[in-house]
Amino acid sequence: MNAPIPRDIPLPLPAPEGLLEILLIVSFLVHIVFVHLMLGGSMFSLVCQIKGLKTPDYEKLAYRIMQTVTVNKSLAVVMGVAPLLIINTLYAPQFYASSALIGDMWMAVIPMVTLAFLLAYVHKFWWNHFINIPELHIGIAALETALFLFIPLIFMTNVNLMLFPEYWPQVKGFFSAMLLPNVLQRYLHFISAAVLFSSLFFVWWSGRKTFLQEVQFSKLRVIDVRRFFYAFAFGATIVQILTGLVVFVTLPAQGMSWRFTLLLMLGGSSALPAIWWMWQNLTSPGHLIDDNLKRIIACFACAAIIMGIARHDYRENALADHKTAIAEKTANYMAAVKEAGEHAQLDAKDQESKISAPGESAFNQNCAACHHATLPTVGPALQEIKEIYAGDSAGIVAWTKAPGKKRPDSMQMPGFVQLSDDELTAISQYILSH
Amino acid sequence: MDFPIFHIDFIGNRMLIAVDAILHVIINHAFAVGALPVVALLELSGIRRKDARWDKLAYRLLKIIFIITTTLGALTGVGIWFSASLVNPAAIGSLIRVFFWGWFVEWIVFVSEVSLIMAYFLSWQTAGRSPEAKLMHLRLGIFLAVFSWITMAIIVAILGFMMDPGNWVTERTLMSGLFNPMYLPQLAFRTTLAMVMGGMTMICLIYLFTRHDLAFRTMVLRVISNWSGAWMLGLIVASIWYYQVIPNHMLANIPVAVTTQEYVSWNGRLKLLLIVGLFYVGRVLWLSVKRPGQVHGAKYLVSVLLLFAMLGQFERVREFIRKPFIIGNYMYANGIRVADYPLLQRDGILQHATYAGIREVTADNQISAGREVFEQTCTRCHTVNGVNSIRGQLKKMYGGKPWKSEVIAAYIENMHRARYFMPPFPGNKAELDALAIYLASLQKRAAAFNGAQINGIPMPDKISAATVYGTLPNLSITNGEHE
Repeated sequence: MNAPIPRDIPLPLPAPEGLLEILLIVSFLVHIVFVHLMLGGSMFSLVCQIKGLKTPDYEKLAYRIMQTVTVNKSLAVVMGVAPLLIINTLYAPQFYASSALIGDMWMAVIPMVTLAFLLAYVHKFWWNHFINIPELHIGIAALETALFLFIPLIFMTNVNLMLFPEYWPQVKGFFSAMLLPNVLQRYLHFISAAVLFSSLFFVWWSGRKTFLQEVQFSKLRVIDVRRFFYAFAFGATIVQILTGLVVFVTLPAQGMSWRFTLLLMLGGSSALPAIWWMWQNLTSPGHLIDDNLKRIIACFACAAIIMGIARHDYRENALADHKTAIAEKTANYMAAVKEAGEHAQLDAKDQESKISAPGESAFNQNCAACHHATLPTVGPALQEIKEIYAGDSAGIVAWTKAPGKKRPDSMQMPGFVQLSDDELTAISQYILSH
Repeated sequence: MDFPIFHIDFIGNRMLIAVDAILHVIINHAFAVGALPVVALLELSGIRRKDARWDKLAYRLLKIIFIITTTLGALTGVGIWFSASLVNPAAIGSLIRVFFWGWFVEWIVFVSEVSLIMAYFLSWQTAGRSPEAKLMHLRLGIFLAVFSWITMAIIVAILGFMMDPGNWVTERTLMSGLFNPMYLPQLAFRTTLAMVMGGMTMICLIYLFTRHDLAFRTMVLRVISNWSGAWMLGLIVASIWYYQVIPNHMLANIPVAVTTQEYVSWNGRLKLLLIVGLFYVGRVLWLSVKRPGQVHGAKYLVSVLLLFAMLGQFERVREFIRKPFIIGNYMYANGIRVADYPLLQRDGILQHATYAGIREVTADNQISAGREVFEQTCTRCHTVNGVNSIRGQLKKMYGGKPWKSEVIAAYIENMHRARYFMPPFPGNKAELDALAIYLASLQKRAAAFNGAQINGIPMPDKISAATVYGTLPNLSITNGEHE
């Protein structure tokens, strides 16, 4: 393995590794659901707004969708904190390394998300201000959506890079990391998942009893809206399967295992019944009354959970050797630290016993930082002091108690009031006899 | 530091964290912790007086609070994680291992806080329908204010720990870290400061929003001035407490005069700001309590700015007393543990830095090896050309005289004894000389200094790819055999 092997942080994990892993899988799934709803909602709001130019009812729909986006985006951020914390804990040597290697773009996540959120508020809170300037309003929505689309690519690049330490030395900045095998496929898989989950969410959302009252369509029927979202859900599922297959065959071999493959197949097949139900809903509109939505969502939830576990499985496989090597190196390093520390203590004792001149250790402690034996470092060198104060130990003591400023191009010496007269005299005699 | 070195040479790494963190703290104190109680107070007054104007005003304030805290406020909070993990991963990684459950609880409180502010804000209009719903809604606001204070109280414990780990260095438990000696004074100071800041910030906004209804303005300002004035008294007491406890505690740890000078000037500035600020803000509040409608808006604004400046300076002093450590007595600001020093000083830091490109200083590579040493040991705080630049520091010391590497080396070797905020140099003698040669070369030429995010990392060599250490037995393997 041609990967750099750093040392781990030499402190124990705060909890059993298994518990942290479970927390990671669960909290990450919750986070990603809200990210999907935020990103998908933003895309749907934009699409509906554009459709609204021709069919005004879609503009009303776009506004209602936007109201869900601003809620889901806050939950996406706050739910992201826990997986970030756990990744920091479990994968410190890998995650910090990959973050640093794409550091500029990684840091740019913060202003970009802030900007996207502010744009989302402008988009929503000023909806009625933009009635007569749809270009600007749609432009704001498009910019917001573009930012929401780009930010996951940065995350994807980072979590992919952390899996493959052997690629680290060839990475020079974000874009080279983004072009590593597998990132873009995974990104497309992610985006289609966002469309899938958000369209299912909006199918549910538009099926609520109060929906019609909230949205107040003039012509559009609820059934049309639901069909609209089902169409996207179905299309996104097909894209999910295709991109999923591409991701699978292009996954670097480091993390592959039969268990992982089996999990992927299990996750994929658990979504199959949902495809059938969705197809029925699309082809025979009568089904939309009793549309098996709960079952469809259950199928996809099942698939998402299994995929989440599989994803973690792959990460653990890919990093298993690296983690072992890091643990070994850390243990050996800590032993070396201990040994060197013990030696240093012995040496220090030796050193102490060698100091014979009184005042020497006090000089080293208090004066040596600025006064070198022969070189003018901060203050004058000892040689120079000796010449100035030849035989005048009391002069040195007096100066040290209340220093003035003699040299225009040097810093003024501070007064050493904390030292006693005896100590100062010893120091001055050491200086003169040096 | 055993991580690829991220470095921004223009604004500097510390400044990156500082800008983000100060923004976050200001938003947290002025728009969340200190402002949410004001909103609830206004809502309560509206219910008691049966006057819709109070309720409308409270909602307008909350909308601004909502927009600012859920965008810039939340994201600068996450930004502290991002920037800290880029700038000093060793430190933040260690803190996370110790405070994981503290942060986990913090996260749960944070989730509640965000859910509560959304519920509070989004249900405002529908809650007006019945008196019972309105009371429930008010209760929501009070919960929200309490939760946002708890979030701050937890974080203050972690900050306090970074300054002084108390018994943690010996005990290494979460609780011993949390209840360190700095905790209560800091919490009291922050709580009262946040309440006054939030009150004053809201007063400014109220002043703006009530410009067409001056009679109402007088009524509202009287209530909020009373509220803020009460906290102002608390702030005076807390400032005195903080000022007495912390400096004495820290000064006891600082034996050398120069640092004391430096520290006294930093803390002196805070003291001056505290006195001037408390006096000015106190006077404005006093006038505002007595004649609420007649204080000019500019005075409120100046008060807010003074309070921001006090908070900013307080954070700077807090950062300063932490030095030379990033985690008191455990890890220096350069990301190197105190315990690592004997090994690194014996073998050289380059021998143990996985991501270093040069391992040994030779006669031919002194400048590039020195640059490498600089990158490993100095760049967490210093830049070459930007903020807190090393060039600027050397210019201050040696001016236009030729910079001599022997003089620089002699200084760095002992510098921690005089400049107590500087960690001791962690490498060996050859590395010290190489660093000094590199630094001296900066007088004439300084090539652009980029971090790993631009330069990447070198191909792994024997040391980087190995898991064993020199001639020592491979402990991990023998341990494995015993198991």
